[in-house]
Amino acid sequence: MGSDIRFGWTGAIGSVILGATRSEGGTRKISYRVGGGTTLPFLDHAPASSPLVALEICDEPQYWPQIVRNYCGDLVDDVSAWATTAETVYGADLIRLYLTSTRQRNFSDIPLVGKAVEEVLSATGLPLIIEGSNEPGIDSEVFQKCGEAGEGERLLLGTAEAGRYRSIAAAALAYNHSIIAQSPIDINLAKQLNILLREIGIQQDHIMIDPYTGTLGYGFEYSYSAMERIRFSALKGDADLAMPMICSAIDSLTIKEVREADTAYQDEMAVAWEFYAGLAAAVAGAEIICVRHPKTVGRLKKAFTSLKTGSDPTGRI
Amino acid sequence: MTEVKNAVASGRESLKKRMQSILVLHGYGETAYHLPVSFALTGIDVRDRASSQDAYLRASNNPIIAAECLLSEKTGREGKEPSPYTGFIGDTVLRKLGYSLVDGSILGLALVIGTPANEGSAAGICRELQEKYMLTFLAGGVVPALQQSGVKLGLEYRLIPLGSTGAHGVHFTDIIARVAMMFGGVTPGDTARFLKYAAERAKAIVIVFPGLTDEEIAVVDAMRVLGFPIISLGDYRGEGWVEAPPEHAVRQGMEAKGIRVTVTAIPIPMGCSPAFEGKSIRKEEMYVEFGSGRSTAFELLTMRNVGEIQDGQVTVIGPEIDAMKEGSANPLGIIVEVAGRSMKKDYEPVLERRIHNFVNYGEGSWHVAQRDLIWVRISKEAVAKGVKITHIGKLLASKFRMDFPQLLDAVSVTLITDEKKVLAARKDAETVYEERDARIKGMRDEDVDTYYSCTLCQTFAPNHVCVITPERPALCGAISWLDGKIAYEISPAGANQPVKKGTLLNARNGEFDGVNRFVKKASHGEIDRCSLYSVMEYPMTCCGCFECVALMLPEVNGIMVVNREFKGVTPSGMTFSTLAGTIGGGAQTPGFAGISKNYILSDRFLQGDGGIERLVWIPSALKEELKDRLQKKLIGQGHPGLFEKIADETLATTIEELTAFLERAKHPSLTMKPLV
Amino acid sequence: MALKALDIYKLLPKKNCKECGDPTCLTFAMKLAGGKADVDLCPHLDEQAKAVLGASTRPPIRLVKIGIGERSFAIGEEFVLYRHEKTFYHPPGIFFKVSDTQTMEEVSAVTKRVRDESFIRVGSDLRCNGIALENSSGTKEMFAAAVATVEKAADLPLVLISEKTESLFAALVHCGTYRPLLHAATKENFKEMCALAKHHDCPLVIKARGLEQLAQLAKECALEGVQDLVMDSSPQSLGEFITASTAIRQLAITRAMPDLGYPVFLDATGSDIQDAAIALGIVKYASVIVTAPLSEASAKAALTLRQNIYTDPQKPIQMNPGLYRVGTPGKDAPVLMTVNFSLTFFTLQGYLESTRIPCFMLVVDTEGLSVLTSVAAGKLNETLVRDALIRFGVENEVAHKKLIIPGYAAPLSGRIEEMTGWKVLVGPRDAAEIGEYLEQEWKK
Repeated sequence: MGSDIRFGWTGAIGSVILGATRSEGGTRKISYRVGGGTTLPFLDHAPASSPLVALEICDEPQYWPQIVRNYCGDLVDDVSAWATTAETVYGADLIRLYLTSTRQRNFSDIPLVGKAVEEVLSATGLPLIIEGSNEPGIDSEVFQKCGEAGEGERLLLGTAEAGRYRSIAAAALAYNHSIIAQSPIDINLAKQLNILLREIGIQQDHIMIDPYTGTLGYGFEYSYSAMERIRFSALKGDADLAMPMICSAIDSLTIKEVREADTAYQDEMAVAWEFYAGLAAAVAGAEIICVRHPKTVGRLKKAFTSLKTGSDPTGRI
Repeated sequence: MTEVKNAVASGRESLKKRMQSILVLHGYGETAYHLPVSFALTGIDVRDRASSQDAYLRASNNPIIAAECLLSEKTGREGKEPSPYTGFIGDTVLRKLGYSLVDGSILGLALVIGTPANEGSAAGICRELQEKYMLTFLAGGVVPALQQSGVKLGLEYRLIPLGSTGAHGVHFTDIIARVAMMFGGVTPGDTARFLKYAAERAKAIVIVFPGLTDEEIAVVDAMRVLGFPIISLGDYRGEGWVEAPPEHAVRQGMEAKGIRVTVTAIPIPMGCSPAFEGKSIRKEEMYVEFGSGRSTAFELLTMRNVGEIQDGQVTVIGPEIDAMKEGSANPLGIIVEVAGRSMKKDYEPVLERRIHNFVNYGEGSWHVAQRDLIWVRISKEAVAKGVKITHIGKLLASKFRMDFPQLLDAVSVTLITDEKKVLAARKDAETVYEERDARIKGMRDEDVDTYYSCTLCQTFAPNHVCVITPERPALCGAISWLDGKIAYEISPAGANQPVKKGTLLNARNGEFDGVNRFVKKASHGEIDRCSLYSVMEYPMTCCGCFECVALMLPEVNGIMVVNREFKGVTPSGMTFSTLAGTIGGGAQTPGFAGISKNYILSDRFLQGDGGIERLVWIPSALKEELKDRLQKKLIGQGHPGLFEKIADETLATTIEELTAFLERAKHPSLTMKPLV
Repeated sequence: MALKALDIYKLLPKKNCKECGDPTCLTFAMKLAGGKADVDLCPHLDEQAKAVLGASTRPPIRLVKIGIGERSFAIGEEFVLYRHEKTFYHPPGIFFKVSDTQTMEEVSAVTKRVRDESFIRVGSDLRCNGIALENSSGTKEMFAAAVATVEKAADLPLVLISEKTESLFAALVHCGTYRPLLHAATKENFKEMCALAKHHDCPLVIKARGLEQLAQLAKECALEGVQDLVMDSSPQSLGEFITASTAIRQLAITRAMPDLGYPVFLDATGSDIQDAAIALGIVKYASVIVTAPLSEASAKAALTLRQNIYTDPQKPIQMNPGLYRVGTPGKDAPVLMTVNFSLTFFTLQGYLESTRIPCFMLVVDTEGLSVLTSVAAGKLNETLVRDALIRFGVENEVAHKKLIIPGYAAPLSGRIEEMTGWKVLVGPRDAAEIGEYLEQEWKK
């Protein structure tokens, strides 16, 4: 079945390599080639890759959703242990480290940033996504430090925006990392940013598009369509949009529906919200789905397995 | 005065001779790029006498290669120079420097070489380079001169002493070579790509003090191939060497290389933000006012050549605000002069319109209208805080630079408050206005070979492509051809892209093969053809922002237009919002088109469908709005009396009433070729 | 390719007789082009024109109605593969599955849940749609009894699942007039199934593996006189489902295989990741989704996803204009003006809640446009603000006359002050900065 549909695509999604094993010059246990699709998601007969699930963690938990702090307990105070658990217990494919410590007022302890990255690198063998500073004033130093600390590891660095991409691009160029290019739910702005990045020297196979994801009920439909359109244009041959996409509906755990849910099933609500958004985003074209609730990780991975055409009997319908 | 040409000849000769003397080469540790310039230019990893000769030969005896090899040989022999000199800079440090360059925390690289005649001039130049976020490398006598003036050296001060002689200046080029290979993806040996990178991306300048040896002059002169401007402080004369006095050396070097200092703060004693834009200043809040019939006032923006004006300069001619009486009206001339490599005369009026926004951004300044009709007020509160006329100038100069960083290199503002001088300057300004009007008025679609697209609305109308021509503004009415052109210049990756007309396919309908090709691509393959001047055949797509809808009324063989503000049912049986809902969203709907109000006045309006004689109905308010201009147009086109034959809702609200009215009025559409 | 309005107009009688209900033939042509009117409404069309127009203006996917009464709904009549191309029109029905081997109490309880549970988001009432009753017992008596139990508890749309026509026959005695969806006709039993469906005028699910086989079965059922069909491709994995349903949608809307022009059925209960099947069904063209009774969390997430995906991308969801409270604002609480675009409203509301400063939100009617666009379009203007202040009695609620407006509405500040007499404070452009703004600007 399926051989009956013809879309007449002329393009394909490019790929980005994340993580480097010892033989590739890094210290990761595994590296991934993300992207490479040649048609709509999950319709490839021999899919190049399945979407990956990243668990988001941070180095300063006061800025993290209460619900994760409740669920994980003391773990959130120890970023290394958190990273190890994400790999060994929660089963994440990737870890996305938010350097939330940089959000503290007048933050200036730049070496701390490098230390956090190094600690997480040694605590896990998974490829890393690093979210740098939230404050333009310290971007330059923070990204330099992140890039340097992860040299050779082929990190994915976040997040470049139209008005703010130079430091992150510099870190990617200097230390051979890839970057997340985020634009506010608009295909043309996404394209524009990719062109700006190309002009500064970033190769196409070092960019992942983040079209920005509003969570379910909070603009998710816009993000969903933006992702569908980006994938569509890329397949139609627009090389400036032919990068794999990353999605993180980060508000999922702080919206009213989840925040105000009865404590008895608050976790379940959180997971449902992340899961439904994450699955739909993958169907729209996202190749890395980022979540914060540990329980969402396994569920999404199982669903993606079943989506790889009929390969897993446990996913039977 | 040294003739560069002669010095170069002798320097090259002597370098060539010395190259023969190289016996052993050690190269540098701390780098994976061997002798970087040789490696980048020739692909040869120079490590011994043979390979050095090879590279030198391959690069046609380039003095830089000779200097690089010789310095390496010497360093190997004698060891590194003592502190503060850095000598060869290793890859690890360089990676960080390159980072700052890409990152924008440093704007460019400068080499200051030679021995200053007096110590102070070097200090002044270096301070200016520091202030302008340049990373400066020093070679030769300039280093002790700076130390004697108490200038602190080192990476943290962005002043790096490479070595004690001018010959150490060659490290500047090995840095550029490695940046090109590390960050620019330049493959060693790809000479063309390396030269291109150095010229276009490296942002490097060289400032030369006297006292160089002939060999050193030959090396500096060879850097011209890398596209570095060579600024000479008076002692050298040669082709491509720019002579400049010390106080202008840095500015001229940076301008020549197109390195721009970004403006981030506006040094005035009042807030400046779009948030204040809508704040009006009432009479009782006002300290002084200018224009609006109470006094003479005007504004004018003109372009000058780069170098003709000094960036940020603000001049007030006439009395300052403290000499003006509270509550009084005073004369004012605002003259903004701008310069920039890609600035064009055509952009003047568009930039001039921004004066209005910018003055309104001031917390205590207010501006309406344009040209010699302007009306400006400054509030009591602002004056109490110390705001003066000159601050309006500072505000304008800064905002223009901040908002058009790609376009403008320099902005200077002159504010005239002297009655007589304002009158005289206004006279000149009026000549400019007239010239501009004549130019824009005369601009026809056939005068240009490029139109501009607008795909801003693709957010909600995914396949919509607006094609904007001089005679057909965007359907939202907000973007003219000139606006599109400038938007493209400022943001080449933005939503306004040039559309090459290509071959004319159908003059009447305004169909071009280039436009079709563009539309096909930009609509993601959805739309194959687009006629610019027809409602009936392959009309332009509609987003949802159109000011008006033009649609055919087959019963009367004509075309009606309804604007967004009209709420009633039109003779088509549909309201504006029903029509908008049906034809919007990026679709192409023959018989229907979204248009701007001004397009109705264009000679191209309905050209493909038989001309303005097809126009049978428009809402009365729109008719009134366009009345004078439309009547003039109709008479000009040889249709006196047609205006009265065009119906509105007071004359006909249904198709039956419209038919009856048009028959009574003997509207020409009734006898024209059938539309359908 | 669908015909354009102009092409359709050319085929119409051009009499402007108004008998179709529209004032002119052009209006009618516009409606036909948009799939919003039926060719049969025009009494003056000759047969040939009717045939041409019928084939190209009839929706490529058939509209099928399930159930009778208040909770009945329609599926199908979709036109596009991607929602951004136009919109998706008819959201899938979600049916909770029960079995005739469960106790009456259990069946009744699930039925009542579907009857009563609702969840209000953005002014809409979100509910699951009906009950899918499975004949697991294999006996017609138990099936009939279970149907009777469901019917007693609520008037909900039903899916009756049985391979046995005699069970369905027995069940239809209780609910035959309420248009339940019958599941399923196969190659083997379609004649009897069609007879049943035809007799009771019920929609019918057809089930086969393979698109060719489904198309063939649809054709045969149509020949039997049953056209209200729903298609079950009986996928063995989520991957198979997405492949089949995408193919069905694509081939139907391009009219490449018109026999596939029916809504799609998905039974999610076979999956041990039922939530995945539901989410996938919602985004990828399922029109009937059968699931085990959902937890509150799953139901809310699924219904919210369904609402999002079936929102018209060209018509933003609008809030009702009015004065909304955040916390329990007092007489000195700030009043923040915003627009009635739902996304703007919710975003702002979310940030205001997290500031823990009680306040009023004055929502003005910009017809669902965002701040930026409504300012640009002139829709948001001083008159609108004044009218809203008066209409919602804001002066009676607070003891001050200060109004905070969005940063992008700054150009209007002066005119709003003049028109309303309120002092206008310009807030930030980004709602995320509202907390800091209130801390710094309002508290001082």
